[in-house]
Amino acid sequence: MGRNSRDRGPRENAVEANIPKSVSRRAFLSKGAAGVGAAALVGVNADDAQAQAKWDLSADVVVIGAGVAGLPAAITARDLGASVIVVDENFDIGGRGMLSGGRVHLGGGHALQQKAGIKDSADQVFADWVRHDSAVARYSDRDLVRVFADENVATFDFLVENGVQFRERPIGPEAASTVPRTFVTVEWQVPSEVYAPGGGRNGSGLVRRLEQSARKKGVQILLRHEMKSIIREQGSSGKVLGIAVNQPGGALNIEAKRGVVIATGGHTGNVNFRRTFDPRLTEEYQQACMPYVFQGAKGELAAMDIGAALWATANQTSESGAAITKTRHIGCRWGYSSLVFQPESKLFPLAKATGLTVSDWQNMIFVNQNGQRFWNEADGSYRFFAAAMAYNGDTAKLNGGGPIWAIFDADAASRERWDTKPPHVDPDGYFYTADTIAELAPMIRNPHQKKPISGAVLQETVNRYNAFVTAGTDTDFKKPTPMYKIEKPPFYAAWATPILHDTLTGLRSNTSGEVIDIRGAVIPGLYCAGESQGGFAQHGLARCMVFGRVAGRNAAKRDA
Amino acid sequence: MTADVRAHATTIEMIEPVPPEVAVGAGIILKVKVSCAAGCDLDGTPVRVTAAEAAVESALGTGALRDETAEITLEAPRQAGDHTWNVVCGPHPSAGIRHGETSLPVRIRTIPHATSLAVWAIPSPVAMGEKFGIKAGAKSSAAVSLAGLNIEVCDETGAVVARGRLGAAPFPGTSALYWTEVELPAPAAEGLYAWSVKLAPGELDLPHEHASTSFSVSIVRPPEHRLTIKVIEKDTAAPIANAQVRLGVFRGATDQSGLAQVDMPRGVYDLNVWKIGYEAPTRTVELNRNISLEVEVLSVPEENPDAAWLM
Repeated sequence: MGRNSRDRGPRENAVEANIPKSVSRRAFLSKGAAGVGAAALVGVNADDAQAQAKWDLSADVVVIGAGVAGLPAAITARDLGASVIVVDENFDIGGRGMLSGGRVHLGGGHALQQKAGIKDSADQVFADWVRHDSAVARYSDRDLVRVFADENVATFDFLVENGVQFRERPIGPEAASTVPRTFVTVEWQVPSEVYAPGGGRNGSGLVRRLEQSARKKGVQILLRHEMKSIIREQGSSGKVLGIAVNQPGGALNIEAKRGVVIATGGHTGNVNFRRTFDPRLTEEYQQACMPYVFQGAKGELAAMDIGAALWATANQTSESGAAITKTRHIGCRWGYSSLVFQPESKLFPLAKATGLTVSDWQNMIFVNQNGQRFWNEADGSYRFFAAAMAYNGDTAKLNGGGPIWAIFDADAASRERWDTKPPHVDPDGYFYTADTIAELAPMIRNPHQKKPISGAVLQETVNRYNAFVTAGTDTDFKKPTPMYKIEKPPFYAAWATPILHDTLTGLRSNTSGEVIDIRGAVIPGLYCAGESQGGFAQHGLARCMVFGRVAGRNAAKRDA
Repeated sequence: MTADVRAHATTIEMIEPVPPEVAVGAGIILKVKVSCAAGCDLDGTPVRVTAAEAAVESALGTGALRDETAEITLEAPRQAGDHTWNVVCGPHPSAGIRHGETSLPVRIRTIPHATSLAVWAIPSPVAMGEKFGIKAGAKSSAAVSLAGLNIEVCDETGAVVARGRLGAAPFPGTSALYWTEVELPAPAAEGLYAWSVKLAPGELDLPHEHASTSFSVSIVRPPEHRLTIKVIEKDTAAPIANAQVRLGVFRGATDQSGLAQVDMPRGVYDLNVWKIGYEAPTRTVELNRNISLEVEVLSVPEENPDAAWLM
C-alpha cells in the first residue's frame, strides 16, 4: 500500500469519481448501503467512539487491501453471494502484486502442470513445504501448509476462471519444491496501468485481471480509503463488526456483517515493527516495491490493537529466501532487484532514477559508512547481509550497519556500459562523482550517512583492494580472484544499501483464516491472508492467493 | 536652528556563526544583524568589513542594512592562518537621531586547499628490471589549475624514482584532474611492491596541502614460456570471448576466437577462467614449456539474474 505515492495516482476510483461534489459523501454512501445504527459499539480507539456511532457503508464482507490476497478473498466471498467492499489506501489496486514478476508457485497437479507432463499432488506439495532440510519450510505451521497444499489446484483453477492468463512454460523446481511448479502470468496489456512496464512486471496481469473480474461480479473497490482501526464489540473481546477508514472526504465506518479480511500486505516499511523480529533493521534499509507499495504493517497493528497474536516469527529471521536482498540497481533511492521505474513511468517522479543495473559484482567494492570494505562483494548470502549490518564502531549507532556504498571507477562504468548521469542516477543523495577517491569520500552526503567518510580512509581502502587485484588474492574477505582495480578517474559512489523484501511472519490464524488472539482464542469475524498472515513462509504470490480464497470463503459463510 | 544632539546606541551581532575553518580564498558570506534599542529604522545604514589593522576606507566588503540585517560577500584571506576582521556599521541618522558607529570583531581561520591524487594504467605484472609507465593526476579542492606542478614517484623506501610534470589539460571525463605519464624502472627483484606518488604544490598562488597516495605493482621474473588457452563452452564447443584468465599475478583475456595468451616464467600456477554466466573449476597448470590448453566452461545462463527473487 503505497503511502508515499497516495494522491499522485493517475487513476481515479470509479466509486469516488461518481460522487457528485454537491452531495455529502456520507449521504451518498448511506444511500442503498448502510445508514444502519450500530448501537453499543466499542472501537479500539476511544477517540473514534463518536465517529463509530453510525455505519456509513455496509457489506457482508469487508476486505482491507486490494492486492494479491485481498482480490481473491473478495471474489471468492462474492461468488458465494456475499456483498463485498474492498478498501485500499493506495490510489490504485494491486499492492506488491502489481510490480511482481508474476511467478505463481502453485502445484498439486493443476492443468498446466499436467500439460507439461509434471507429476504432482497435494501430498507432494505438503511434503515439500514441511521439509526439515529447507529453512524456508521448516519453521512453518504445518496445519496451514496442509491447507495450502490441499487448495493449490483449486486456486489455480480459480485464477484461470477469473481471467488470469499464464505462460505455459514451467519453471523449477524452486525453493523447497521438488517438482516444477512456477508458472508466469502474462503482463497487463496497458503499459500506463503497469507502472513499470516492459520490465517483466507480469504480476500486473494477475492483479488487473482479478480486479476486472471482481468489479464485474459486483465487488465494490474503494481506493484511497485507509483503514484506521478494526471495530470490535468490546475492545479486545466480542465479535468484529467493521472497520473505520479515512478517505479524502473524511472518516467513514464500514460495517462487515459477516467478516473483515485483513489483506494489507507485510511490514517491511514499518521500521518499528520490523525491528520486533530483527533489531538490526533500522531506518536505512530500503524495501522492495517502493515507491508504489509501502508495507506499513497496518493490518497487523490494527489486529493486534484488538488482541491478535503474531505467529511463527522464526520465519522472518530464518536467514533463507528473500527476506533481505542486495541492491541490483545502484545509485538510486529504490534499487530493488529487477524492478526499474523508467522515466516514462508515472512513478518516476517519486523514484527519481532508474539506477545502474549491476551485471558483475567484480566491478565494484562495497564500503560501509566508515569507508571500509566489510565482505566479499560477490557474495549474496545472509553472511553478506550480516556483515553489512554489523556494528562498525559508530557509538551513536549501535543497531544497523548504516548505508552501504558501491565504489567504482570509469573502467567499471565502461565495462558495465553505464551512463552515469540522470535519469540513471540520483545525484540528490544517492550518487556521487569525483576526480579522485579522496575527493569522493567527503562528498557522500545522505540522510543515513550521518558523518562524512574520510578521504584518507576511503583512499586506503581502495589502494588496499587494488593491491589484492594486483596480487590476485583478497586476503581480507576472500573475494574470489578479485578482477579489476578501482583506479581510473573519474570515480563514483552509488547507494547500495540492502533491501528488505519478504514479510515472512504476521498474524496468527487457524486453518479457516480466522485470526487468533494472544490467548489462543478466535477473534470472531476477523480473517487474514497474504503477507499480513504468519505461519507459512513461502516466498511470493501463491500463499497469498490460497489463503485469500480461504479467508474470503469462510468470511462469506459466517453467520451474519 | 539647533542641532539634534540625541544619540541611540546600536548593537551588532552575527546571525549565523562564522565557520570554524574556511579554505583560503574561498567565498564567504557574513550575515549580521544591527538593531537600535529604541527600535529606530536603520535601513540603508552601510555595513563594512575590514581587516582588523586596516583603515575603514579599505573595506574588504560592504553591504547595507535592510530590516536590521545585512549580508556581506567576501573572499577569505589568501594566507592560511588566523585572521580578525571588523564588521563596522554606521554612523547613521534616523529620524534626526544620531546612531553612532558600532563594530564587531570576527575571527576567521583559513586553511590551505586540499589536493588529492589518482594513479592508473599501472601494468601488472612487470618483468624485473624493465621500464614501465603509469599515469598520475592531481586535483585541487578549489579546482584551480595544477598544470606544470611536479609529482614524485617514490619506492617503498621513500626514495624518489621518477618525477613528472602535470600537463596543461584535465584528464578527459574529469573536472580538473591535471595529469601526466611517468616512466618508471622496475625493481631488480620479484615481489609485490607498494610505491607512492606525492604532490608538493608549493608554487600555487593559493596555499594547498600536500597529497600522497600509493599504488601496487607486481614484479616478476622475465617470461620464459607462453601459455595459450582456448576457452570453449562445454556443451557446444563454441569459443568464449572476453573471458578473464588469471594465474596468480598473471592475467589475460580471451579474444573473439576464445584465445588468450599469457607469457610467464616456468612454474606451477592455479588457472582461473571467469566470465559472468559461466562456471569453470580452478585447475593447476605446470608451465615448463610452451603449452596450449583448452578450458571448458559450463554455461549457467541467467535468464533473469533476479528471477529467484521475483514474486
